[in-house]
Amino acid sequence: MHFRRSILSISLMSAVFAFTHISAQAQATKAADPPPAWKQGITAESETSTLHPFSPIFTGTEAKDLQLSKLKVPAGFKVEVYADGIPEARSMAVTDNGTVIVSNRLAKNVFAIVNNNGKKEVKTILRGMNSPNGIAIIKGTLYVAERDRILRFDDVEKNLDNMPAGKVVVDGIDPTNGPGHFWKVLVAGTDGKLYFNIGSPQNITSPNYMQAAIFRVDPDSGQMERIATGVRNSVGMAFHPVTNKLYFTEHARDWMGDNIPNDELNVLTKEGENFGYPFCHQGDIADPIYGKYSTCALSTPPILKLGAHVAPLGIRFYTGKMFPAEYKNNIFMARHGSWNRNTKQGYDVMRVVLDGKGKVVKYEPFLTGFLTDEKADPPMWGRPVDVQVIADGSMLVTDDYNGVVYRISYSK
Amino acid sequence: MKTSSFTLFSSQRVVTNLVATLFLCFGTSLFLGSPSFAADIEAGKQKAQVCMSCHGPAGNSEIAEIPALAGQTAQAITTSLYHFREGNRKNPVMSPFAANLSNADMNNLAAYFASEKRIPAPYTSSAEALQQGPELAKKYNCVQCHGAALLGQQHIPRVSGQQHAYLLAQLKGFKATTRYDMDGNMSSAASMLKDNEIEILADYISGLR
Repeated sequence: MHFRRSILSISLMSAVFAFTHISAQAQATKAADPPPAWKQGITAESETSTLHPFSPIFTGTEAKDLQLSKLKVPAGFKVEVYADGIPEARSMAVTDNGTVIVSNRLAKNVFAIVNNNGKKEVKTILRGMNSPNGIAIIKGTLYVAERDRILRFDDVEKNLDNMPAGKVVVDGIDPTNGPGHFWKVLVAGTDGKLYFNIGSPQNITSPNYMQAAIFRVDPDSGQMERIATGVRNSVGMAFHPVTNKLYFTEHARDWMGDNIPNDELNVLTKEGENFGYPFCHQGDIADPIYGKYSTCALSTPPILKLGAHVAPLGIRFYTGKMFPAEYKNNIFMARHGSWNRNTKQGYDVMRVVLDGKGKVVKYEPFLTGFLTDEKADPPMWGRPVDVQVIADGSMLVTDDYNGVVYRISYSK
Repeated sequence: MKTSSFTLFSSQRVVTNLVATLFLCFGTSLFLGSPSFAADIEAGKQKAQVCMSCHGPAGNSEIAEIPALAGQTAQAITTSLYHFREGNRKNPVMSPFAANLSNADMNNLAAYFASEKRIPAPYTSSAEALQQGPELAKKYNCVQCHGAALLGQQHIPRVSGQQHAYLLAQLKGFKATTRYDMDGNMSSAASMLKDNEIEILADYISGLR
C-alpha cells in the first residue's frame, strides 16, 4: 500500500513537473509566434522562398482545350478523355455496373460518371460535403470519408439521382480541426473493413495518438483500430492482389531542400508498425528537429524512395486483362507534383514492378507530358491524382487541375 | 479609419445598384448564350456590364467594401465565382449573381476583367503603414504567394491597390475563420496577425500602386 502510494505521489509530482514544464514551453513558444502549419520547420534560407501552392482550375478545362498531344505513354497505349466537367476530380471508385464515382478535396461534391448506352453523363450525386476526398465501395455501398467522419450510402447505383442522407460509420476523425493534412483517402480491404489516413497536423511536428497514422474501421460496428504510425500523410493505398498486404504512399516533409527527403512507397507487414515520422525520413535521414529523440533503426524504411516532393497520391495494382502480361500486378502511381521544389518534378503516372517476393525491380514513367517546363510557374498543365482499373482492363486517371478523367487503353 | 457615414453611403449605393443590376441580369440573360469555346474576352465584357454596377467601370471599384476586379488574375476570379456559385463562399449580394453563371461564363468574365487595366481607387497609406507594411508583408509570408509586388499569380489574387475596407474585412474574416478559405492557407497565415497588424497591412497594401 505504502509502496503504491509512493508511486502515486511520484507520478503526481512528475505530472505537476511535466505540466509546469509544458506551460513554460507553451509560453515561450507563444512569445516567439509559432509559424503556420505549412511553415513549421522552415529554414532561415528558405524564409524568402517564393514557392507557392497551385490550385485546380475550378471551372475546368473542356476536353477540346486540353493539350492531349503532349501526353506520352509506352508504345501500343493510347490516352483519351473519358469525361470532363468534373471540377477538381480527385479519388475514384467503381460500382459493379461500371459507374465511376469521383470525389473532391477542396470543393464539396461527389460525382458519378454514368454510362448511358455508350454516352457518358456526369451527375453531381452529393453536394455540400466537408472535403469528401476519400471514397470506396463495398458490396454496392458507397463510403465517403469527409475530413471529420465517414458516411455510408447504401445501394448507391439505384440512388444516383436521389441520394438519401448518409449514415455515420465513424465520427470524430479530425483531431486537428484546422489547416494541415485534413483530407482522407479511403480504401476497402478484402476483410470488408475500410482503411484511411489521419495526417500529421503540420509539416513537421510531434503528432498525437490519432495523427500521422493509418486506421481501419469496421463499417458495421464502427470499431476503429490504429494499424500504422509514424506516417506523415498517406493519401494513396492499395492491397496487393496476391499477398493482400497494404501498400501505401507517404508524403515526406517540406523545407529540407529540393532533394531530400524522398516521398515513400511503404508496405505494412504487421499491425501497429511504425514508419518513422517525425523522427526519421525515407528510412535513413534523421529529422533536423526531432531526429535526436529517436533513431531510424526503430522504424520501417520504405520499399522505394520515390523522389523528393513528387507528391505520390493514388496507387492501384493492375489486375485487368487489357494491358500486356508484364503489367500484371504492377503498381500504377499518380504523382501530383509538389509546389515545394525550385525545379519541379512529378506530375505523371509511374509504373512500379515488384518481383515474386514483393521487392521493387523497376520504377519508371508510364504517363508523362503534363510537366512542360520544370522552371516555369506553373510548370504543368495537368496534375494526376488517382488511377483506377475498370472492367474492360483500361485504366482511368483523374486530373484535378483540369477537372478531367483520362482513359488509357492498349491494343497491339 | 473610414467614417461611419461613408460606410452607410456605400451600403445604400450597393442596394440601389443591386436593384438595377438584378433588372439588367434578367434582361440580358435572354440574349447572351454561354459560348462553349475557351475564354472569350468580348463575351465576358458583355456579361460583365452587370458586375460593373457594383465593381465599377471596367472592374475598377469605386466602393470601399467592394473589390476591384480590373487587372485581377483570371484564375483568382474564376475560383471566387465558382465557390460563390457552389455556396462555399457566401455573400448576400454576390451569391445570387454567381448562382446563375456557367463555367464558360466565369471563364469569360475572368478573361475580360483580367485584361482590363487596374486604376486603383485613391488611397493614401499612413506614414506608419508605409514604414511597417513592407516588413510585415515579408514576415507573414504575404509576398511568398501574392508575389513581391503583391500583384497575385494564378489563383492567388492581386491585393496591391485593392479597396481598403474590403481588404480589412477579408483579413479579419480569415483570422476569425469566418471567411471561406478553400485550402486553409490564408486562415493559417492570418491566424498569426495581431489586430493592429491587420490594420497596418490593409492600410499599406491598399496604397500600393
